[in-house]
Amino acid sequence: MLESFIISFRLKNTYMANSIIYSIKGLPVLNKILPNRLYKSGGLKVFANIVSILWEIVNTFLGKFLYVLLMLFLMTTLYDTNQADTFLHIFTFLTLIGAISNTYMFNPTKDKYYAIILMNMDAGKYAISNYAYSMLKVVVGFLPFTILFGLGIDVPLWLCILMPFFVVAVKICAIFYDIWKYKRTGIVTNENSLDKLRWALIALLLALAYGLPVVHVTLTRTIFAILLAACLLFGIYSLTQILAFKDYKKLYKKLLTPDNVYMVKKATSTETVKKNIAKSIEYDGSFTSNKEGFAYFHELFVKRHRKLLTKSAEKQSFFLIAVVALVLMIVHFVPESKEPLNYITLTFLPYFVFIMYMLNRGTTITQAMFMNCDHSMLTYRIYRTPQVLLGVFKERLKTMISINLMPASIIGLGLALILYATGGTDNPLNYLVLFISINAMSIFFSVHYLVMYYLLQPYTVSTELKSGTYKAAQLLTYLVCYVMIYLRLPTIQFGIATIVFCVAYTAISLVLVYRYAPKTFKIRL
Amino acid sequence: MELIIENLKKNFEKKEVLKGLNFRFEKGKIYGLLGRNGAGKTTLFNCLNQDLELDGGTFYIHDGKERPLEANDIGYVLSIPNVPEFLTGREFLKFFLEINKKQVKTPKTIDEYFDFMNIETSDRDKLLKDYSHGMKNKMQMLVNIIANPNILLLDEPLTSFDVVVAEEMKEMLKSIKSDHIIIFSTHIMELALDLCDEIVVLNKGVLEEITKSDLDDKEFKDKIIDTLREA
Repeated sequence: MLESFIISFRLKNTYMANSIIYSIKGLPVLNKILPNRLYKSGGLKVFANIVSILWEIVNTFLGKFLYVLLMLFLMTTLYDTNQADTFLHIFTFLTLIGAISNTYMFNPTKDKYYAIILMNMDAGKYAISNYAYSMLKVVVGFLPFTILFGLGIDVPLWLCILMPFFVVAVKICAIFYDIWKYKRTGIVTNENSLDKLRWALIALLLALAYGLPVVHVTLTRTIFAILLAACLLFGIYSLTQILAFKDYKKLYKKLLTPDNVYMVKKATSTETVKKNIAKSIEYDGSFTSNKEGFAYFHELFVKRHRKLLTKSAEKQSFFLIAVVALVLMIVHFVPESKEPLNYITLTFLPYFVFIMYMLNRGTTITQAMFMNCDHSMLTYRIYRTPQVLLGVFKERLKTMISINLMPASIIGLGLALILYATGGTDNPLNYLVLFISINAMSIFFSVHYLVMYYLLQPYTVSTELKSGTYKAAQLLTYLVCYVMIYLRLPTIQFGIATIVFCVAYTAISLVLVYRYAPKTFKIRL
Repeated sequence: MELIIENLKKNFEKKEVLKGLNFRFEKGKIYGLLGRNGAGKTTLFNCLNQDLELDGGTFYIHDGKERPLEANDIGYVLSIPNVPEFLTGREFLKFFLEINKKQVKTPKTIDEYFDFMNIETSDRDKLLKDYSHGMKNKMQMLVNIIANPNILLLDEPLTSFDVVVAEEMKEMLKSIKSDHIIIFSTHIMELALDLCDEIVVLNKGVLEEITKSDLDDKEFKDKIIDTLREA
């Protein structure tokens, strides 16, 4: 048993360490310097191991600390009921919720998948030893904080000490129930996709936890003590049953399907994204095109991806029209709002860089272009000839700009209208600058995303995003736009500067694309 | 026409995968490229298709005079078929014919191409995403042949076909070989012996032609296996 645990722990540590090295290698400059040997390098392994063990420690204590502080202690102080009783009351109900939603045993994690399915370890030994370890972590992680905060709120010390054991006992009872259910029905509980009944139960428990104290009803420490004793007793019985259960292998074969392991937690995993994007192709036979060559090719792409491309821009536009209309109504009915709104239109233009950043759908669009189109087309040498490549690029640029200009022009126009409705300005140039600069920003983002895509082409054959430079460029874009939130500059100056910048950026980057894209735009091997 | 490879080198970090290849491929022949797993067959194809930068050496076409390879000289059929899923088979062909206008001297109609590849009428206007693996493979092969490239690189192309289609494809390749240099990588020795005019082995980072001379089939096979074993 112990041996199983040590093997599984080392396995987990190894791939944690490897993922750390992998992330380090993903950084721009470093990936050129660092060789693949790195995975073998002793020193770095030690470093990665230390990081991974530190992570294990943080993971044991930090979550529990925050949980006890925020969900128990601080919440308790909000009520005017007996504080110690309320603390135990909320704790009891949240623990029940935890027993449903956080079983450890029925969480389809990668660790389990690697060990049990891929490495064919003894499922029973693996399950029991790792479960014991995670329960140990529960006790060790909770104990300091139940004592610290419990005593602070006058819970008797012996109860504070037993509180973590209550958590463990309740969890074990829940596992026993799930195993019992599996034996009877063959249905395996997956804690990441709970059924409606369990969600309803969680909602009810949550309401009881925080709702009852509002009407001055809480468990008392006596009731808690009785509950505790009952759970401990039943927990011991459950434990014997869990230990006696033999069919862990079968159970885990059902739970640990690649779908459960890879998809539930990360809806952003490449496989899921790929599936979703592939699903987004719309075809009813009526979309055709009269164009020729790459224009024909691109037009079909756009028409077959309407939902992904144009529809959401249309939705954005309708929403923005509603917002502008709302603001204009406020201006009309609440005259006091005029002055601050007028001030906003004349000084908040930098903030709109961030808004335009958020509205721009460049990343989604380029991603769809890769997954559904370039991923296959780039394997044809002819598609990469400058003539075809740049031809398609030009078509795409037009589409990208026009899609994003739809909401942008509404914002531009809306801002100018709001400026007019709130009393206008001495310098009529403001209207023009507002409108043009917002549209220029939109064009900038469209060009920026498409150019980044063509110059850095970050995706691999297996459609993974694998370019540190690309990620860094994305992050930088975000940071710059975010900083803009805090700038207050006169619209005219900032607007004109923006327009000049956008024009210059567009011109320079297009030159770069025409010169370098035939070399850079290929699949990463 | 010949494809001449001179001292071609490719490393991944410090691992030398291709250690100075030298070879002359001639028009009109099908070359069977054999090599063990990880020998670098796909790397070689990726280099010739200019997907990877070389670390040394060069390759060019000798056609009376020397000239570098251009995009339309090469057709590359991958073992995993890659077709744009949002197009129908017909649209994909139309697009390809249009961007290859210059290369296709005597274009046939789209349906004639489908007939040539034995693609059913009912499948021609379906989205490629609804094609089966084998049909996608046929489409990939077809568009690579349409452009009439001088050199055809085929990476394990027949493995996903059923026996009937595999036979059709073999016949098809034999029928077009006189105008092309066809390099065909495979793990299946019988296929290589059956289809190919020359057997080339990629072993320890170098290319080596295995000549049959007066060996019988069994002896020839053993000779190939022995060469591959010397790793």
